Formats: sequence, C-alpha cells, structure tokens
Amino acid sequence: MVKSTCKTNCMEKIFLSFKKIIVPALVAALFSGCVKDKITHTYQVRTPVYQVLSKFREQIKSMPASNIGSRGKMTVAGNYIFISELYKGIHVIDNSNPASPKNVSFINVPGNEDMSIVGNTLYADAYSDLVTFDITDPANAVAKNFAANVFPDHAIYYAGLYTSPDSINVVVDWIVHDTTVDYVPNQGGGIYFYPPGCPNCMTIAQNMNASTLPGAAGTNGSLSRFATVNNYLYTVSYSQLSSFDITNRLAPVYKTNFTVDWHVETIFPFKGRLFVGTNNGMYMYDAEASPSNPTPLGEFTHVRGCDPVVADDNYAYVTINDSSACLGFNNELQIINVQNFTNSFLVKSYQLTHPIGLSKDGNNLFICDGSDGLKIFNAADVNNLQLIKQIKDINAVDIITINGLAIVVATDGVYQYDYSDLNNIHPVSKL
Amino acid sequence: MAIVSAHCFGQQKNQSRRFQFHSINNFGLINGQADPALQIQTINGLQHKSWFGGIGLGLDYYRLRSIPLFVDVRKEFGKTKDRFFLFADAGTNFYWKRDKDAKQFYEEDKFKNGFYGEVGAGYKIKLNQKFSLISSLSFNYKKLIEKGRNYFYCDPMACPITSLPPPEEKIDYNLNRLVFKAGIEF
Repeated sequence: MVKSTCKTNCMEKIFLSFKKIIVPALVAALFSGCVKDKITHTYQVRTPVYQVLSKFREQIKSMPASNIGSRGKMTVAGNYIFISELYKGIHVIDNSNPASPKNVSFINVPGNEDMSIVGNTLYADAYSDLVTFDITDPANAVAKNFAANVFPDHAIYYAGLYTSPDSINVVVDWIVHDTTVDYVPNQGGGIYFYPPGCPNCMTIAQNMNASTLPGAAGTNGSLSRFATVNNYLYTVSYSQLSSFDITNRLAPVYKTNFTVDWHVETIFPFKGRLFVGTNNGMYMYDAEASPSNPTPLGEFTHVRGCDPVVADDNYAYVTINDSSACLGFNNELQIINVQNFTNSFLVKSYQLTHPIGLSKDGNNLFICDGSDGLKIFNAADVNNLQLIKQIKDINAVDIITINGLAIVVATDGVYQYDYSDLNNIHPVSKL
Repeated sequence: MAIVSAHCFGQQKNQSRRFQFHSINNFGLINGQADPALQIQTINGLQHKSWFGGIGLGLDYYRLRSIPLFVDVRKEFGKTKDRFFLFADAGTNFYWKRDKDAKQFYEEDKFKNGFYGEVGAGYKIKLNQKFSLISSLSFNYKKLIEKGRNYFYCDPMACPITSLPPPEEKIDYNLNRLVFKAGIEF
C-alpha cells in the first residue's frame, strides 16, 4: 500500500511540478539571444621599415664577426665555411683547423636567402639584387657588382616600380606589435598565405678542390637554389630557372629564364646536368650543350613533398618530407634510375622520419633525418641500403661531405664529424 | 555515567546526520550565440542542513567539446520538502579534441584550458526519501584558448627549417551561455 501511494504521489508531483521544470527551459530558449560569445584573435603585425636601395647597398659589406643567429645556408670553399643567417647576412668561419673553427667576420647582406661560390667570387641575393663579392680575402669580402631585380619573386619587398636605386625602397626592418581583433572561427580550418620567395631555403656549395679558392668551381649540395656549371650560374625561384654568364666572375650577365614547374625547391648540378627538385617531381636539364638556355632531358614525378636531390652517374637520390610548407605527407628517400633521362624510374623507396638534406661521397650516403639525427648508409647496393651509423643527438638539417669531413647544419649549431674511418665516425667540433 | 553515555551516544548519532553524501546528476541544454548543445554533469559532495558543497565533472558540447571540472556550492531555501535553491560553480575546463572542431591554425594547433563558472537558481522536488528531481536555469561561462601558427606557405625547404617560425597566435574563446538543466539528486 505504501508502495502504490508513493508511486501515485511521485507521479502527481512530477506532473504538478512540470511547470517548474518547463518554465526555466523556456526562459533559457527565449533569452539565449541575450548572451553573446566573445571570441578574439591575437596576432603579430609587422610593419616594414623602408630604405632607399642606394643607401641599402652601401651597407652590404664585411663587418666584425658576430654571433650566429638562426642558421641558414652553408657553403664550404677552401678552408672557409660560409653560413648564412636568413635575411641578415653571411658569417665567415675559418675552418683551417676543423677541431677549432673560428668565426672571423660577418658579411652584412640584408634580405639574403641563398649563396654560391666560384673561386674567389661569392654570389648572394639581397632581396631582388644579385650581389657579387670578391672574397680573395674571405674575412674582408667586397661587393663588386649589383645586378638589379634579378629575383623578381623577392620584389614583394619593393615599395615601388624599379627605375633607379635612388627611387626604390627596400624593407630593411620590421616594427612588430601585437594586435587583437574580433574573430569568427573558420569552419574550414586554418588560413595561410602564399608569398613568393624562399625565406628558409638552404644551400651548400662544395668546392671539390678544397685546397685552393682561386679558379675552383663550387659544387652545391642538396638544398641549394644556386648552382654553377662551368661559366654559368643557375638560380631557381618559385617557378623559374634563370641563367647568368659568369665568364667575368665579378660581372654576371643575365641570359634567360624559363618556367620549370610550380614550387621549385632545389637545384643540383652533376657533370653538366641540372637536377631541379620541385614539389611534384624532379626535372633534369642539360647545361653543357646549351648553357645559356638548358634543354630539358626528362622528368620524374613523385608524391607531393619537399625534395632535395643529389645524384651520381646512375641514380638520383631524393628525400621527400611532409613539411607543411610543401603540403607533403610522406617521409622517405627515393632512389631513381637516371641512366636514361627520358625514361627514369623509381628503383626503391626507404621510409625515414623527416629527411631533409643529404650528401653522397662514393658509396656513402648521408641523410639528415630531422630529429632522428644524421644517418650514414652504405649505398653500394641501392636496393639494399645498409645503415652504417646513426648520430642521434642532433636535429640535422643539411650536410656537406668533403675529404672525410662531414659538416652538418643542425637546428642548434654546426657540427663536424670525421668519417675518414667508417668504423670510427666521431665528432670533431661544434660551432 | 549511564546518562552521560546515553547523551554522548545521542550526540554522536546527531553528528553522523550533520553531513550527508549527495549526488546530483544533470542533463543540460546549453543556449547561446552558437547552436544549442548538450551538457552532462555529475556533482558529488556533502549536504549539511541547507548547504551543499561538492566537486563536479561534466561534458560540455557547446562550440568546442570540453570537460568541466569545478567546485559546486548550493543553498536551499524554504521549509517544505520541495525547495528553491541557488548555486554557484567555479573551476576549469579541458578541451577534448573532436574532428568536428575545425583547427584554426595550420601548425602547432593546441588548446589551453580555461576558467569555467556558473551561477543559477533552481527548484528541487522531493520524490521520496532518497530521490529528488531538480531543474535549474543558469548563466554559464566557459573559456578556452587555442594557440598555433598561421603558416606562410613559403617556397620549398621553407619555414621553419632554420629561420624563426611565424609568431605564435592565439584565439580566446569567451563563451557566455544560458543553461537549462534537469536531473536527479540522491
């Protein structure tokens, strides 16, 4: 009896009290328009500081050595290592004693992204200019020639049309401040922009005749966007390949440019041929038969990703990584048979962690595998790479190998390793 | 001595009734500027006379899915079995990722937990000795911060290999809602 009474009373209570439940619900629904969300977006605004180009060029010269900030490209020529600091300039390191490298000077090159060395001549971009330096004394580089508007991709930094150096404004600094604005969440996800230029591209130029600077042609490594073949300098921009006659080393003469593909990344010269890495594939050109206007030899498409490339007589070695800059998804090494350029084909892929720069010395293949460090493989059999050694405690980005010395640019410094004895690869120094 | 013992024993029995464990379990409908969303909560604590204090845990699906964790304090009014009450919550809430929530930053998108608070009023209907039906209306505030980098789609081998990456940005979500809740207390 008690049970049924409770049941009846409970149901009555729920029914009679229904209005005490429904009223709050109605109020919530009716007055929901009175409450508003406050969503804000805080970001950095960078306002450019301009300077007239002629004044800007006066600053491009050697200065006392300074601390190396963010490491960019690396070039080795003779006993010197040239390390660029993105948009700022080039640090000159005396590496006569690899165990004790010395920072000797800084070449102030605002807007610099790339460089290449031929003999006593250093070529570097300064925003849209191609600057030619005499580096007979590497510690005291002298700017000898300015080729204007060579890199039109970088013209974003010019405030007006090019007429003369006295009428062009160049961005020389940024005023940075935070700003907060109201924000409506983007249902499609994050936003990003497509400015031209290659702020973080890396290059390594390797002088095969390491004992002397004069007359020796530099050989650029896997991440380079400058390359030299005989008396020509080749540069790649976002989509174009340009050629310069550097018969007169200190006065490069622009010859031509042409479209390769979108999102060109690197250029690697090997025995008169140019291997151009793009987001979608690798393109091969003959720079010996037609140096001013290299002729296409063939191409090899691959999965989308950033892809530095080095080559030997038979194969091209391409690392592909999933850097968001290249909209990639894969992290691997691809070995491509290029014995017949018109019919190149993939031999094998090897999965890696986040491969970036690479270098090859004989049968030894060196791969910078991001946070997985530096990996050294025996590539005598391309179908069966054998890992010789993995150096794990560095975040390796790019490498140059020369005379048994591996010079590695990592996120926290420049490391040098002696690999002359593959059974005893050991560190030599860190800068 | 017997009288003292009996008195003490009686006091102990009263003492044991001073604090009682209660569990409050709600479903809620969140209304605000965005689409209405569901909320689930469980609050467990101690009741002492007309006061209640406890710890609450929930699920909140408004805009961004999150898990609130908070302290709840309530005060009941009235002498009848059915009572009016006021309550206040304060704590934090943790973002719980779901595919539906579009990332606002292309790189390094991550969330930081933020403050969670609520004030409201409701009515408690005693069904029987143990169970009560509760409903309430409240103003609710939840904050989350989303951080990341808006990526500049540079040329290959571009940011952030060696140069400084784009600066970190943030989005502050300050979400104001009206919440209707109904549930069971026991």
